Amino acid sequence: MSLFGSTSGFGTGGTSMFGSTTADNHNPMKDIEVTSPPDDSISCLAFSPPTLPGNFLIAGSWANDVRCWEVQDNGQTIPKAQQMHTGPVLDGCWSDDGSKVFTASCDKTAKMWDLNSNQAIQIAQHDAPVKTIHWIKAPNYSCVMTGSWDKTLKFWDTRSPTPMMTLQLPERCYCADVVHPMAAVATAERGLIVYQLENQPSEFRRIESPLKHQHRCVAIFKDKVNKPTGFALGSIEGRVAIHYINPPNPAKDNFTFKCHRSNGTNTSVPQDIYAVNGIAFHPVHGTLATVGSDGRFSFWDKDARTKLKTSEQLDQPISACCFNHNGNIFAYASSYDWSKGHEFYNPQKKNYIFLRNAAEELKPRNKKYCLPRFCCN
Amino acid sequence: MGRKKKKQLKPWCWYCNRDFDDEKILIQHQKAKHFKCHICHKKLYTGPGLAIHCMQVHKETIDAVPNAIPGRTDIELEIYGMEGIPEKDMEERRRLLEQKTQESQKKKQQDDSDEYEDDESAASTSFQPQQVQPQQGYIPPMAQPGLPPVPGAPGMPPGIPPLMAGVPPMMPGMPPVMPGMPPGMMPMGGMMPPGPGIPPLMPGMPPGMPPPVGPRPGMPPMTQAQPVTAPGILNRPPAPAASAPTPQPPVTKPLFPSAGQAAAAVPGPVGTDFKPLNSTPATTTEPPKPTFPAYTQSTASTTSTTNSTAAKPATSITSKPATLTTTSATSKLIHPDEDISLEERRAQLPKYQRNLPRPGQASLGNPPVGPIGGMMPPQPGIPPQQQGMRPPMPPHGQYGAHHQGMPGYLPGAMPPYGQGPPMVPPYQSGPPRPPMGMRPPVMSQGGRY
Repeated sequence: MSLFGSTSGFGTGGTSMFGSTTADNHNPMKDIEVTSPPDDSISCLAFSPPTLPGNFLIAGSWANDVRCWEVQDNGQTIPKAQQMHTGPVLDGCWSDDGSKVFTASCDKTAKMWDLNSNQAIQIAQHDAPVKTIHWIKAPNYSCVMTGSWDKTLKFWDTRSPTPMMTLQLPERCYCADVVHPMAAVATAERGLIVYQLENQPSEFRRIESPLKHQHRCVAIFKDKVNKPTGFALGSIEGRVAIHYINPPNPAKDNFTFKCHRSNGTNTSVPQDIYAVNGIAFHPVHGTLATVGSDGRFSFWDKDARTKLKTSEQLDQPISACCFNHNGNIFAYASSYDWSKGHEFYNPQKKNYIFLRNAAEELKPRNKKYCLPRFCCN
Repeated sequence: MGRKKKKQLKPWCWYCNRDFDDEKILIQHQKAKHFKCHICHKKLYTGPGLAIHCMQVHKETIDAVPNAIPGRTDIELEIYGMEGIPEKDMEERRRLLEQKTQESQKKKQQDDSDEYEDDESAASTSFQPQQVQPQQGYIPPMAQPGLPPVPGAPGMPPGIPPLMAGVPPMMPGMPPVMPGMPPGMMPMGGMMPPGPGIPPLMPGMPPGMPPPVGPRPGMPPMTQAQPVTAPGILNRPPAPAASAPTPQPPVTKPLFPSAGQAAAAVPGPVGTDFKPLNSTPATTTEPPKPTFPAYTQSTASTTSTTNSTAAKPATSITSKPATLTTTSATSKLIHPDEDISLEERRAQLPKYQRNLPRPGQASLGNPPVGPIGGMMPPQPGIPPQQQGMRPPMPPHGQYGAHHQGMPGYLPGAMPPYGQGPPMVPPYQSGPPRPPMGMRPPVMSQGGRY
């Protein structure tokens, strides 16, 4: 039975390729470890789109590289290829047909990696590190969107060295997400802008941030008919805001919730509040996963407004996460995110990428009288 | 609420056998003594609710109700106030009381009890005590100012229907006592069909709802808070019926956001709009997971590392200045102090600014792609990020590095451009634009863009 099939019982599989079911904390959830992980912190993870048969995972890291693995159904991960930048890679994404991977780097460029030929060429240039990169596939155009610390959002036709369009951002771009026809970009100083991408990208609305702290990650979610309808925004203060673009009742529909904090409700000890490093929505269930500097991941149901699960604590922060195209696999990266500054950086410490079967754990909570209350997660 | 099965007698606590004047007080007692989490002191509403809370929030199991007398410690029994007490225990209690205080009970109330038909239970004692029981007290409230007529009557679904008819008359009397309640009450009176009727009531009861949950502490100020409890009681019965939950969801949703508005304390909501705040999203038990504690707790709780209490994030958005305050008395933000992103901070390190290919790895394709004609309008400069490391760039001999270690898609296919023979070594370094006037010519070889 496939390890990542929807009904597989792989669960807490001790089927890690490396048999890493040890008691130490680097993998308390006993998830599958990806082989040959990068040598420095992982900044981004992305699975191939459904157009490619099978599952391929790319990961960008602070070791200036972006690596690609094939993930087989039995859980085996096979390194396939890698490319380099001259600076740390901060973001990566796939084209819609799965033939190209786009990478954004501190070297102020973005590259397009043709997987068939295994060549990568530069396709974008900024004046400062490029923090986000997304592929946009519209009915009448396709392009790559790059967000940079140079406060611009640029759109590139990969065949031309000049951008198709440049939009000014109020501040440095910190995170972005694209689900056609919507794009959400969060910047420094709590800036938040939503763009509409039909015909051509244009700014749709600047939103006053629902959060009071630095924005760190954003993910767009869709409604029941698969149209993007809002986004989840995470900050460095252990909090995620769920924000709808046009809700019937904003005061009631939009909300925030706390996450990635220590000490639960024990108020005698100051609570440690960790940054939310990544948010990803399950492509089928619409539930979401958050990963934080505290080294845990949590699954949430935003409609039932409940938490579905929180993992055990890893010994390092979890810096990135993503789901594969059908939601059977949840990948998360364990590596230092600089949340405690330079002092806590240990270059010798190994970085990991874990894969977990996500088919069951992210099912939405039944809102009716919940028997599930009796079952533990 | 009284009429229905009042289980006669003064309200008493099943867990510890203590007597109380009023069911509301009884409930307060139960919450504080028997349904209070020993870890976080959160007050739940029922034994099972407490068990679930401990399991989910603290990952601890409890098997006995705190402060309960032996034999009465069952954590699975869902008892709230006087509801849910097993019949045989009720009878035992009645017998006990009859022996001891029959007379005093008789003296207690007087009547109006006609309407109170009690359900089967024994006669004499039942009457009087009933009236007393004002829990839902339609009548008693009148008699006793202390008990605001709790519209809670609806709460007594079982066996009450006949009473309902009697209720309406009471209503008029209520308003004065129940601020804010009256309007809501009326409809309820009409609907009392037991059980199924309850849920629909909820919406009508807004004022009543929220209070049970959080406001407890705030009750006193609110005019006896009693009205509040009533609705709470009302909620309970439906829960077991499981019919109630259905209507709940619509109610619960708004719960969180409004909680923010409701702001801590209390209950203003009681009288005003329906803000089922905190917890109890769905009648009975606490939400399985305190996911959004900000709302449930309203008070206290943490956060507010920097300005403002994070308690109401949803609604109030106070803009924050750039600098971070990472610690406060109750919480500590695990983040460096400056308000720049973690990546920006890390990228400033010389180690990451070298723009050198990692040892052993060639920088691929950099050069060709680079500033291909036009793209690079003279980049002013390399901002701090790169400190001109370029000069030291060793010619990348190894373009072939691509596949190091990777079986790769293309075994060895390094298309020329990728690697850069055209690369004219000097340009290697990364984005280097600077010097070069020459670049363009070089680049164009690469052509591809």
